[in-house]
Amino acid sequence: MQDTTEGKRKVQVHTKEKPDLDQLLGEPEKKLAVAGHSITRTDDPGKVTGKLMYGADYPQEGFLHGKILRSPHPHALIKSVDIEKAIELPGVAAVLTGKDVPGRNGFGAILPDQPVICEDKVRYVGDGVALVAAETEEIAHEALSLIRVEYEVLPAVFDPRDALEPDAPKVHEGGNLLSDNKLRKGNVEKGFREADIIMERTYQVPFLEHAYLEPDVTLAVPQRDGTMLVEGPMQAPFTVRRNLAAVLGVPVNRVRVRQIHMGGGFGGKEDSPIDIGCRAAVLANHTGQPVRIALEREEVTLQTCKRHPMIMEVKIGARKDGKLLAFEGVIYDEQGAYAGLGPVIPPAGGSHIHSMVMMPGPYEIPHAKVDAYLCYTNHPYGGAMRGFGAPQVHIAHEQMIDELAGELGLDPFEVRHINAFRLGSATATGQVLDQSVGLLDTLEACAEAFRWKERFGKNEYLNAESSKRRGIGMGMGWYRTSIGTAGDGCGANVYVHEDGSVLLYSGITEMGQGAFTVLPQICAEELGVAMEDVRLVQPDTDQVPESGPTVGSRSTTLMGNAIIMAVRQVKTSILEMASDMLRVPVERLEAKNRLIYDREKPHKSLAFKEVAARCMAMGKRLIGQGWWTPPAASLDPETGQGSPYFVYTYSTHMAEVLVDVETGEVEVTDYVAAFDVGKAINPKALEGQIEGGVAMGLGYALMEEVAMVDGIPQNLNLQDYLIPTTLDMPDVKPIVLEVENKLGPYGAKGIGEMPNIPATPAILNAISDACGGRVRSLPADPERVFMAIREAGGPPER
Amino acid sequence: MNALTLSFTLNGNDVSLEISPNTLLVDLLRDKLRLTGTKVGCREGECGACTVLLDGTPVNSCILPAAKVQGKSLTTIEGLAQKNGQLTEIQEAFMHEGAAQCGFCTPGMIMNSTALLENNPQPNEQEIRQALSGTLCRCTGYRKIVQAVATAGEMKKSQG
Repeated sequence: MQDTTEGKRKVQVHTKEKPDLDQLLGEPEKKLAVAGHSITRTDDPGKVTGKLMYGADYPQEGFLHGKILRSPHPHALIKSVDIEKAIELPGVAAVLTGKDVPGRNGFGAILPDQPVICEDKVRYVGDGVALVAAETEEIAHEALSLIRVEYEVLPAVFDPRDALEPDAPKVHEGGNLLSDNKLRKGNVEKGFREADIIMERTYQVPFLEHAYLEPDVTLAVPQRDGTMLVEGPMQAPFTVRRNLAAVLGVPVNRVRVRQIHMGGGFGGKEDSPIDIGCRAAVLANHTGQPVRIALEREEVTLQTCKRHPMIMEVKIGARKDGKLLAFEGVIYDEQGAYAGLGPVIPPAGGSHIHSMVMMPGPYEIPHAKVDAYLCYTNHPYGGAMRGFGAPQVHIAHEQMIDELAGELGLDPFEVRHINAFRLGSATATGQVLDQSVGLLDTLEACAEAFRWKERFGKNEYLNAESSKRRGIGMGMGWYRTSIGTAGDGCGANVYVHEDGSVLLYSGITEMGQGAFTVLPQICAEELGVAMEDVRLVQPDTDQVPESGPTVGSRSTTLMGNAIIMAVRQVKTSILEMASDMLRVPVERLEAKNRLIYDREKPHKSLAFKEVAARCMAMGKRLIGQGWWTPPAASLDPETGQGSPYFVYTYSTHMAEVLVDVETGEVEVTDYVAAFDVGKAINPKALEGQIEGGVAMGLGYALMEEVAMVDGIPQNLNLQDYLIPTTLDMPDVKPIVLEVENKLGPYGAKGIGEMPNIPATPAILNAISDACGGRVRSLPADPERVFMAIREAGGPPER
Repeated sequence: MNALTLSFTLNGNDVSLEISPNTLLVDLLRDKLRLTGTKVGCREGECGACTVLLDGTPVNSCILPAAKVQGKSLTTIEGLAQKNGQLTEIQEAFMHEGAAQCGFCTPGMIMNSTALLENNPQPNEQEIRQALSGTLCRCTGYRKIVQAVATAGEMKKSQG
């Protein structure tokens, strides 16, 4: 264990016979010994030496190689599939078509509308029409080329508004409108009547690729006992298991899913492991042999889910002092070919409902109305991507606030300051925020660190000759912890052994966010042992309790609470035993740093392992099972009113950019991002989430877009799909504030998704501040910035 | 196709083996030699996760024919730590600064940083950013990686 930030106050575990308890327990104000410290990540040694095994690193001997034949058409009927030549190729073990799926020929995280192998029809170019398993990758590729498919091409639809037209091609039988949701608070007409100013704008965002560096891989291995094991990088092992069982036509307990360390997920590896996992399992089931499907980068882009594109119409009414009175929004949310994680099918929330709930922003607005339409099209399907429908709508409301401030001649800081949520505010869904509301604190802390007041309104060209002009911008945001409206709950098991060592069973997965460090920290803290005493069991559905998916910025908070509950069961045994051994009442005992001692006479102490050994010898329970469910969520389907999530994280970002008004090129030169996180369990890991999130938000603002032509993604690899490099990123300065979440472990709430959300509008607002033009259809690449400057009547005067 | 006998130095050891002439270096390392620390992210030399050092120079092993290492010295991420497990300053600094998140880019980042510090033991921030600009990371925003390289430079200096 290494404490990297708080060396001065580091709590040391003594090996001396008579420990110095004052030193051992740290300074009096320092209550936490393990949680709240920047402990080095448990998986770091494997990562810096190359020893940590990712899915593609597992030995391939004994595996057949699975491949997917994909549709070349975005929308077509399948007239025939001829597999005869392919199946005769030596080295081919199986060629499967739709009729070979043993159970349900459909998968999906919410709605199983995506065929494992399409039988009648294809709906996007990633759709699979046949599967091959062969002895080598090369043979599998050759087999694909020998399959003959006859299609009847159908008219296709590529825009969510077009999809709603009565004569639009139907992507699915039930029509193209997948979810239609409403939010109604107060009376927007009244709000607009009272307003001094009304503005209307439309903002548009494209498909985004997660671009996790590790391409997807899955291993399906039939077991001797007849069950099916599927392993791979994945965020949601239980969702994968549920789908596998249905597709194989067996009960859930006949399928075992093990998570392998992920090379990034960002929400994308919630859907994709279902997709390739089901396909590999069908091949493994058919052949009786282990099957491996490893996607190439191009296949990842073609086949897997994307961030939903949206067209967002906003109408806002305000008083001339900037007070918001009414907000009206319409969202055309493009789902693409399959339901993925988009739709609202109670109790499942889907990203669509989240977009609707968040659209009016973190502001107190008396009257709000949102109509949100989720539409099927013949594009790749939308899924979760770091923010689950929230980044898009933040791009709308945060730009709208700045456009409003500009029109009123006000400082956007002031407009945000008078409208921002504070304790007791009611959201657009009518939820009264009764705790842990640090939004204004983030606004003020960010402005102070950025020196907003001194800098605002002082834009200049770099110098008399330069075509580069400076600008600053801000973005504010909020994000839920938990999956809320979808119903949520999380389980953990904790086993203590006779030598004091601990096994922690959790189904929360590691994708780089640091869960495998933060969760043992919480376990060690609560149990009073050292970090290295706790071993986290790699998520395996045969071993760990249902924990839900690793999404929704829920892991630290929900799993943390479940761990604490599990630990407390074990601790009861431990403390009762220690009470007998020390002859001290249980209430006076404290467990910390591998010791159990009398708070009133700290020299009366026992080693934790001594007590654990005694418990074991005496037959006392050292197994704890925790289950934590957040307070009930609610959302009225007609009005969109209720409390969909139990707590929110808040944030303010400020950016400085340099815009070359002659070329449209943008450079982000300064950046401060402030957060109210409740409590930082591992401050350094949390900073890492912030810095990485800003990078993702910057990519969304300036360069990222899966370009589609006639339904076909054009930029399949990283040469054409650009993500930020070292040279694009400013030196991001994170500010972490802790406004306690009374329902979180040590006060914590979620952080994983929040950091990328306000980053995009902060940069877009800074661009507009610098160049006078505004890019309302992303990304703000040089061409679009150049055009925006032209539309604004040319570059600002010198 | 005729097999080719390839002889080179791999992480300090002499290696000689038969390969097919169209084998790519990354496949030789990962599939045949089981050195899976070198990662594959794009197979077009864009992401840098497959970076290895050829006579000390960083190269993308996913687009380099294995035959090109004939007679040369190759270092992979597995070859950095000493036999006793002692890590290099860069590896230590990556852990200390929290520079790895998902870790998939980490081997490539560390190989590039190793080459940089060999040539420029005390690089400034801009030099570090320039040297690592061909290696993509989707998790960290690069700040802690850049800091780790600077810290490693300081560690090397103080250890003389």
